[in-house]
Amino acid sequence: MSTLTVESTRFGTLEIEADAIIEFPAGLIGLDSSRWTIVGEITDGPFQWLHSIDDPSLALPVTSPWAFFASYEVELSDEETERVDAGDDTVVYVTVRAGSELSAFSANLRAPIVISGGRGHQVINEAKDAPVRAALFPEAVVAAPQPAVA
Amino acid sequence: MLIITRRPGEKIMLGDDIVVHVMEIVGNSVRVGIQAPRAIPVYREEIWNAVRDENRAAADAAPEDLPVPTKNDA
Repeated sequence: MSTLTVESTRFGTLEIEADAIIEFPAGLIGLDSSRWTIVGEITDGPFQWLHSIDDPSLALPVTSPWAFFASYEVELSDEETERVDAGDDTVVYVTVRAGSELSAFSANLRAPIVISGGRGHQVINEAKDAPVRAALFPEAVVAAPQPAVA
Repeated sequence: MLIITRRPGEKIMLGDDIVVHVMEIVGNSVRVGIQAPRAIPVYREEIWNAVRDENRAAADAAPEDLPVPTKNDA
Protein backbone atom coordinates (compact mmCIF):
# COMPACT_ATOMS: atom_id res chain seq x y z
CA MET A 1 0.00 0.00 0.00
CA SER A 2 1.25 3.49 -0.71
CA THR A 3 2.41 5.51 2.24
CA LEU A 4 2.74 9.18 2.86
CA THR A 5 5.73 10.63 4.69
CA VAL A 6 5.38 13.47 7.17
CA GLU A 7 8.44 14.99 8.84
CA SER A 8 6.79 15.66 12.17
CA THR A 9 8.41 18.31 14.34
CA ARG A 10 7.39 16.25 17.38
CA PHE A 11 7.87 12.64 16.30
CA GLY A 12 10.35 12.72 13.42
CA THR A 13 9.54 10.81 10.24
CA LEU A 14 6.02 9.38 10.17
CA GLU A 15 5.08 6.83 7.53
CA ILE A 16 1.32 7.06 7.12
CA GLU A 17 -0.62 4.34 5.35
CA ALA A 18 -3.25 5.59 2.92
CA ASP A 19 -6.03 4.04 4.99
CA ALA A 20 -4.81 5.85 8.13
CA ILE A 21 -5.49 9.25 6.60
CA ILE A 22 -8.54 10.92 8.12
CA GLU A 23 -10.24 13.52 5.99
CA PHE A 24 -11.90 16.37 7.92
CA PRO A 25 -14.21 18.05 5.38
CA ALA A 26 -14.69 21.08 7.65
CA GLY A 27 -11.26 20.86 9.31
CA LEU A 28 -10.84 21.46 13.02
CA ILE A 29 -12.25 24.72 14.35
CA GLY A 30 -9.60 27.45 14.10
CA LEU A 31 -6.87 25.16 12.74
CA ASP A 32 -5.83 25.14 9.12
CA SER A 33 -5.65 21.48 8.07
CA SER A 34 -8.10 19.03 6.55
CA ARG A 35 -6.02 15.81 6.56
CA TRP A 36 -5.06 14.22 9.86
CA THR A 37 -3.93 10.91 11.29
CA ILE A 38 -3.73 9.31 14.72
CA VAL A 39 -0.23 8.85 16.14
CA GLY A 40 0.43 6.51 19.05
CA GLU A 41 -1.19 3.30 20.19
CA ILE A 42 -3.96 3.06 22.75
CA THR A 43 -1.87 0.35 24.49
CA ASP A 44 0.86 2.91 25.25
CA GLY A 45 -1.33 4.98 27.56
CA PRO A 46 -4.47 7.06 27.47
CA PHE A 47 -3.09 9.76 25.18
CA GLN A 48 -2.66 9.70 21.44
CA TRP A 49 -2.05 12.51 18.98
CA LEU A 50 -4.26 13.83 16.25
CA HIS A 51 -1.51 14.82 13.84
CA SER A 52 -1.92 17.03 10.80
CA ILE A 53 -0.69 15.66 7.49
CA ASP A 54 -0.82 19.09 5.88
CA ASP A 55 1.26 20.83 8.57
CA PRO A 56 4.08 18.76 10.14
CA SER A 57 4.19 21.04 13.19
CA LEU A 58 0.48 20.75 13.99
CA ALA A 59 -0.71 18.05 16.39
CA LEU A 60 -3.09 17.85 19.35
CA PRO A 61 -3.06 15.34 22.16
CA VAL A 62 -6.33 13.44 22.28
CA THR A 63 -7.85 10.73 24.42
CA SER A 64 -10.90 8.54 24.49
CA PRO A 65 -13.31 10.49 26.70
CA TRP A 66 -14.38 7.26 28.43
CA ALA A 67 -10.82 6.67 29.65
CA PHE A 68 -11.42 9.58 32.06
CA PHE A 69 -15.17 10.23 32.09
CA ALA A 70 -16.96 6.90 32.37
CA SER A 71 -20.45 8.36 32.01
CA TYR A 72 -19.63 10.76 29.17
CA GLU A 73 -22.38 11.20 26.61
CA VAL A 74 -22.47 12.79 23.20
CA GLU A 75 -25.74 14.27 22.04
CA LEU A 76 -25.82 15.78 18.55
CA SER A 77 -28.35 17.99 16.84
CA ASP A 78 -30.10 16.49 13.82
CA GLU A 79 -27.95 18.66 11.56
CA GLU A 80 -24.71 17.47 13.15
CA THR A 81 -25.89 13.84 13.11
CA GLU A 82 -26.55 14.13 9.40
CA ARG A 83 -23.20 15.80 8.78
CA VAL A 84 -21.21 13.19 10.70
CA ASP A 85 -23.07 10.20 9.24
CA ALA A 86 -21.45 7.88 11.81
CA GLY A 87 -21.11 4.19 10.95
CA ASP A 88 -20.25 1.03 12.88
CA ASP A 89 -16.56 1.91 13.01
CA THR A 90 -17.10 5.22 14.81
CA VAL A 91 -14.38 6.36 17.21
CA VAL A 92 -14.71 9.37 19.51
CA TYR A 93 -11.82 11.45 20.81
CA VAL A 94 -11.60 14.60 22.88
CA THR A 95 -8.77 17.10 22.63
CA VAL A 96 -6.50 17.52 25.63
CA ARG A 97 -5.08 20.78 26.94
CA ALA A 98 -1.79 20.02 28.66
CA GLY A 99 -0.72 21.92 31.75
CA SER A 100 2.42 22.35 33.79
CA GLU A 101 0.77 20.36 36.58
CA LEU A 102 -1.74 17.52 36.50
CA SER A 103 -4.37 19.81 37.99
CA ALA A 104 -4.17 22.02 34.88
CA PHE A 105 -4.84 19.24 32.38
CA SER A 106 -8.27 19.35 30.78
CA ALA A 107 -10.29 17.80 28.00
CA ASN A 108 -12.80 19.51 25.74
CA LEU A 109 -15.98 17.53 26.29
CA ARG A 110 -18.06 20.12 24.44
CA ALA A 111 -16.43 19.60 21.04
CA PRO A 112 -15.51 15.94 20.60
CA ILE A 113 -13.98 14.57 17.43
CA VAL A 114 -15.98 11.85 15.75
CA ILE A 115 -14.20 9.66 13.20
CA SER A 116 -16.00 7.21 10.97
CA GLY A 117 -15.21 5.70 7.59
CA GLY A 118 -11.98 7.67 7.17
CA ARG A 119 -13.75 10.97 7.80
CA GLY A 120 -13.55 13.14 10.86
CA HIS A 121 -15.72 15.89 12.28
CA GLN A 122 -15.37 18.11 15.29
CA VAL A 123 -18.92 18.41 16.55
CA ILE A 124 -20.71 20.42 19.21
CA ASN A 125 -21.99 18.18 21.98
CA GLU A 126 -25.43 19.35 23.12
CA ALA A 127 -25.37 17.17 26.24
CA LYS A 128 -25.57 18.95 29.57
CA ASP A 129 -22.45 18.88 31.71
CA ALA A 130 -20.04 18.85 28.77
CA PRO A 131 -17.62 21.69 29.54
CA VAL A 132 -14.96 23.00 27.19
CA ARG A 133 -12.41 22.46 29.96
CA ALA A 134 -13.12 19.42 32.09
CA ALA A 135 -10.35 18.59 34.55
CA LEU A 136 -8.68 15.34 33.53
CA PHE A 137 -7.27 14.70 36.97
CA PRO A 138 -9.90 16.06 39.40
CA GLU A 139 -8.10 14.58 42.40
CA ALA A 140 -5.11 16.79 41.52
CA VAL A 141 -7.41 19.82 41.25
CA VAL A 142 -8.81 19.20 44.71
CA ALA A 143 -5.28 18.89 46.10
CA ALA A 144 -3.96 21.98 44.30
CA PRO A 145 -3.67 25.20 46.31
CA GLN A 146 -5.57 27.16 43.66
CA PRO A 147 -8.19 24.90 42.10
CA ALA A 148 -8.60 25.33 38.36
CA VAL A 149 -12.07 26.19 37.17
CA ALA A 150 -13.50 23.82 34.59
CA MET B 1 -19.69 44.33 6.66
CA LEU B 2 -23.16 44.49 5.17
CA ILE B 3 -25.83 45.90 7.43
CA ILE B 4 -29.45 45.46 6.42
CA THR B 5 -32.82 45.73 8.10
CA ARG B 6 -35.18 42.73 8.12
CA ARG B 7 -38.60 42.25 9.69
CA PRO B 8 -39.83 39.06 11.31
CA GLY B 9 -40.71 36.57 8.60
CA GLU B 10 -38.16 37.94 6.14
CA LYS B 11 -35.08 36.08 5.01
CA ILE B 12 -31.53 36.65 3.87
CA MET B 13 -29.78 34.55 1.23
CA LEU B 14 -26.05 33.86 1.59
CA GLY B 15 -25.10 32.71 -1.87
CA ASP B 16 -27.57 30.25 -3.39
CA ASP B 17 -27.65 27.64 -0.63
CA ILE B 18 -27.80 29.34 2.74
CA VAL B 19 -30.97 30.93 4.05
CA VAL B 20 -31.11 32.97 7.24
CA HIS B 21 -34.70 33.36 8.37
CA VAL B 22 -35.56 36.08 10.89
CA MET B 23 -38.36 34.25 12.64
CA GLU B 24 -39.45 36.40 15.55
CA ILE B 25 -38.33 39.10 17.91
CA VAL B 26 -39.15 38.70 21.58
CA GLY B 27 -37.87 41.44 23.86
CA ASN B 28 -34.16 41.76 23.14
CA SER B 29 -33.83 38.33 21.51
CA VAL B 30 -34.10 37.45 17.86
CA ARG B 31 -35.01 33.92 16.84
CA VAL B 32 -33.16 32.99 13.69
CA GLY B 33 -33.58 29.93 11.50
CA ILE B 34 -30.66 28.84 9.37
CA GLN B 35 -30.86 26.49 6.43
CA ALA B 36 -27.48 25.42 5.08
CA PRO B 37 -26.11 22.46 3.12
CA ARG B 38 -25.17 19.69 5.52
CA ALA B 39 -21.47 20.05 4.75
CA ILE B 40 -21.55 23.49 6.36
CA PRO B 41 -21.53 23.42 10.13
CA VAL B 42 -23.40 26.19 11.93
CA TYR B 43 -22.08 27.43 15.28
CA ARG B 44 -23.00 29.98 17.89
CA GLU B 45 -20.09 32.40 17.79
CA GLU B 46 -19.15 32.13 21.47
CA ILE B 47 -18.94 28.34 21.22
CA TRP B 48 -16.90 28.52 18.03
CA ASN B 49 -14.50 30.93 19.79
CA ALA B 50 -14.19 28.72 22.87
CA VAL B 51 -13.49 25.60 20.79
CA ARG B 52 -10.97 27.44 18.62
CA ASP B 53 -9.12 28.58 21.76
CA GLU B 54 -9.09 25.02 23.16
CA ASN B 55 -7.87 23.55 19.88
CA ARG B 56 -5.05 26.06 19.66
CA ALA B 57 -4.09 25.56 23.31
CA ALA B 58 -4.09 21.78 22.81
CA ALA B 59 -1.86 22.17 19.76
CA ASP B 60 0.77 23.92 21.91
CA ALA B 61 1.58 20.68 23.72
CA ALA B 62 4.82 18.78 23.27
CA PRO B 63 4.99 15.00 23.78
CA GLU B 64 7.02 15.44 26.99
CA ASP B 65 4.23 17.57 28.48
CA LEU B 66 1.97 14.53 28.85
CA PRO B 67 2.10 12.60 32.13
CA VAL B 68 2.45 9.18 30.47
CA PRO B 69 4.36 8.18 27.35
CA THR B 70 2.22 8.05 24.23
CA LYS B 71 4.81 6.17 22.18
CA ASN B 72 6.94 3.14 22.91
CA ASP B 73 10.37 4.45 23.79
CA ALA B 74 11.78 0.94 24.11
